[in-house]
Amino acid sequence: MKRFFLAIAIYFLSYNPLYALIEVDITRGNLDPLPIAVSPLHVDIKSVEHEGIKVKELGNNISSIIEKNFKNTGLFNPLKKEAFVQKPDIAHLKPRFEDWRLIKAQALVTGKLLVKDGKLKVEFRLWDLTAAKEMTALAFTTTPSNWRRVAHIISDKIYERLTGEEGYFDTRIIYVSESGPKSERIKKLAIMDQDGANTKYLTLGNELVLTPRFNPTNQMITYLSYFRNMPRVYLLDIETGMQEVVGNFPGMTFAPRFSPDGKKIIMSFAEDGNSDIYTMDLETRLVERITNHSSIDTSPSFSPDGKYIAFNSDRSGLQQLYVMRSDGSNVKRITFGKGIYGTPVWSPRGDLIAFTKMRKGRFYIGVMRTDGSGERLLTENYYQEAPSWSPNGRVLVFYRETKAGSKGEGFTATLWSIDITGYNERKLSTKTDASDPSWSSLLSK
Amino acid sequence: MTKSLIYSLIFHSMMILLTVLTLPFMIRQPIDLPPIVSVELIQISDKTNIPFAPKARKIIKETKEKEERVVSEQAPPAAKAKEKPDRIPLPDEKKEKKQIVKKKQNPEEIEPQIRQSSEFEKKEIIDTNQIAALIDKAKEEEAVKKNKTDKLTQSSVKNSFATGLTLSEEDALRAQIFGCWSVPLGLPYDEDLLVRIKLKLKKDGTIMKSEILDHQRMNRPGQKFYKVLAESALRAVRLCQPLKVPPTGYDKWKDIQLNFNPAEMLKG
Amino acid sequence: MILNTNLKNIFLVVFTTLILSACSTAKKSGLDGDVYTGKETVKYLASGVPDRVFFATNKSSLTTASRATLRKQATYLRKNKKLNVTIEGHADERGTREYNLALGERRANAAKDYLMTYGISGKRISTISYGKEKPVNPGSSALAWSQNRRAVTVKVN
Repeated sequence: MKRFFLAIAIYFLSYNPLYALIEVDITRGNLDPLPIAVSPLHVDIKSVEHEGIKVKELGNNISSIIEKNFKNTGLFNPLKKEAFVQKPDIAHLKPRFEDWRLIKAQALVTGKLLVKDGKLKVEFRLWDLTAAKEMTALAFTTTPSNWRRVAHIISDKIYERLTGEEGYFDTRIIYVSESGPKSERIKKLAIMDQDGANTKYLTLGNELVLTPRFNPTNQMITYLSYFRNMPRVYLLDIETGMQEVVGNFPGMTFAPRFSPDGKKIIMSFAEDGNSDIYTMDLETRLVERITNHSSIDTSPSFSPDGKYIAFNSDRSGLQQLYVMRSDGSNVKRITFGKGIYGTPVWSPRGDLIAFTKMRKGRFYIGVMRTDGSGERLLTENYYQEAPSWSPNGRVLVFYRETKAGSKGEGFTATLWSIDITGYNERKLSTKTDASDPSWSSLLSK
Repeated sequence: MTKSLIYSLIFHSMMILLTVLTLPFMIRQPIDLPPIVSVELIQISDKTNIPFAPKARKIIKETKEKEERVVSEQAPPAAKAKEKPDRIPLPDEKKEKKQIVKKKQNPEEIEPQIRQSSEFEKKEIIDTNQIAALIDKAKEEEAVKKNKTDKLTQSSVKNSFATGLTLSEEDALRAQIFGCWSVPLGLPYDEDLLVRIKLKLKKDGTIMKSEILDHQRMNRPGQKFYKVLAESALRAVRLCQPLKVPPTGYDKWKDIQLNFNPAEMLKG
Repeated sequence: MILNTNLKNIFLVVFTTLILSACSTAKKSGLDGDVYTGKETVKYLASGVPDRVFFATNKSSLTTASRATLRKQATYLRKNKKLNVTIEGHADERGTREYNLALGERRANAAKDYLMTYGISGKRISTISYGKEKPVNPGSSALAWSQNRRAVTVKVN
């Protein structure tokens, strides 16, 4: 009993209000995007004109691209330039933090550039305005025509510093460009920068092409072409234009995707109407059969460590998602929810699988853990499918088709992106109708 | 009935076998390839870290010190801000112009390594708000020592009655910080991230000292998200000052700990 | 034995009612349940020989009507020994692209296998799947989709 009182006495003594530490739990904050000021980059007066580039406007143009990138993330709120209080060159040397805080900015990007001797030199700084500190800084040298990429690389560095994860701006998206009436669509392979700039067409539209996918090393893509009316998986080097048929299969090969190391292609091969999954090693040319089942097994996707493969199969009667070891053993069904599931794609982080779900005539894009638990549907629409991950595993890009009238009028195919939180759904701007997007990894690391 | 079924089956499988065997020959014509338009991939050369010219740093330090002299410590930030645009620009700008020139003159004096290192490792620049005490060695030790007691306080002294703030006082403070804290929305929603900041306050609610209790974690590899959260929490308290503290009982609240936990919000 | 006949009778009754109800829907929309039974999009290899068969959603099994059509095609192919054909398999637009490619392939092969059981050499029949890429009816209605779920026999030479 005495001990008990002693304990209580000690308790009160040690937590005498005078010495007690007050603790306040902060579990809420404002969810508004972080206000950030992107000052135009200062163009060094020693800069000389360069063919095809408006050097004087380069500083403004680069900062506009950075702003647009940030706005599209939904995480940042780039402030209007009219409110800016300091000239770009001076701000870049040392911002007057109080003044920038006045316009409610919490972070500031400054920079300068010089075009001389056929080279573009750019440097930037990111400032934490409340701490009055520089957070990061970097300089680049490149050819002036690369200025857009410089803007994207700067965006990536700032994004990484402010969010803790890699950016996804210096990337490209390959997709199928569509034109013409619905029943006679002309489809071409197209590639563009992540922000929709620099669209280029890789095929002429003479044959049907589908489902292009990027190699994680970025040099190559794999896709399905109906060249000579023989649907086969092709491999294409974007840089050199070299291409080849993948393997020597006596029938349709389709649904190709690269392994995470870029050395294998995994795809489906249809033999007598039955589709199974195969891999082909691009170096040894060795073809390996992975599944052997009388059902349709397709849309395979490797886990980032290469140890597992997710795919969809109708072996249960309806299309569902399965995961197996990369040698085809240990096949496990992971979806049991109501509806039909397809196009599983393993996230680059490895923790989630994105998929398409069809239920009651509606289409959903969602994510789930790799064992099928924790399903979250991100978006619902009349028709949408084929999610592809941003390289940092934060955003999905997919395509959407609209309901057509009885003669096919009103039909459109468009690319969309959404965060894995389900927020920030956006339409990507493409020059033509578009489908089957695939996101590259970062072009420069 | 069964006989015919068996015949049919045999016949079928033979046919299938035949097709399998013959099909490859049908298609094994040389496959030429569809035309491809090539696109050049551009490489970016020379990615370097910007040198922060040593002279510029000195000048910045000077101006900082000057600012400190001009702006009295006790002055509330609002007033400080109003003062600025009129007063400082002239001398400031002159200095900065000088700085540009100087910087160009000696581009060789470059310490590339410094750049990449985190701000929190650098012992540079005296912070205006005097809250740069993040990496101070002494504090580190203190934090480790305090850790045990912190745990105790967390579990046992949660209610405001015991802490010396009334409920409404605590709510006012909390609401104020809610408004200042821009939660980094990109954080993973399923990771356990909790940032605890200990503050030493002045009587007017401005911050004398702020310290992240587990700040070693910030610079550990793979803890980028923690770092981002910690920085956002620091921004929040800085933006909020002076904190809304009760007019009396300074001794009770001069030391205060804020626990920033975004889990609830990110799951949303 | 009596039980057996009883079962047979019940089966017969159920079957006829099913057929009758199917007829009544067929009159309205040209659909037998999910399968198109009309003639709107159908072309002919020769007089009285329809070029295509239709399928139910997500299915590649042949209906009674499809079998009858394919038997006609088999007869026609037996008569024209030098004729080779390609069977094009198609799906409607309400599935993922890759699965639909596989489904079209399965449908084309279902038709091919049936022709082969009627004595047509597999060498004379090639298959190709277009998935959902070549709809015959570009609309987005149940009728359009049923017309697009098809396997079409096309003369090669």
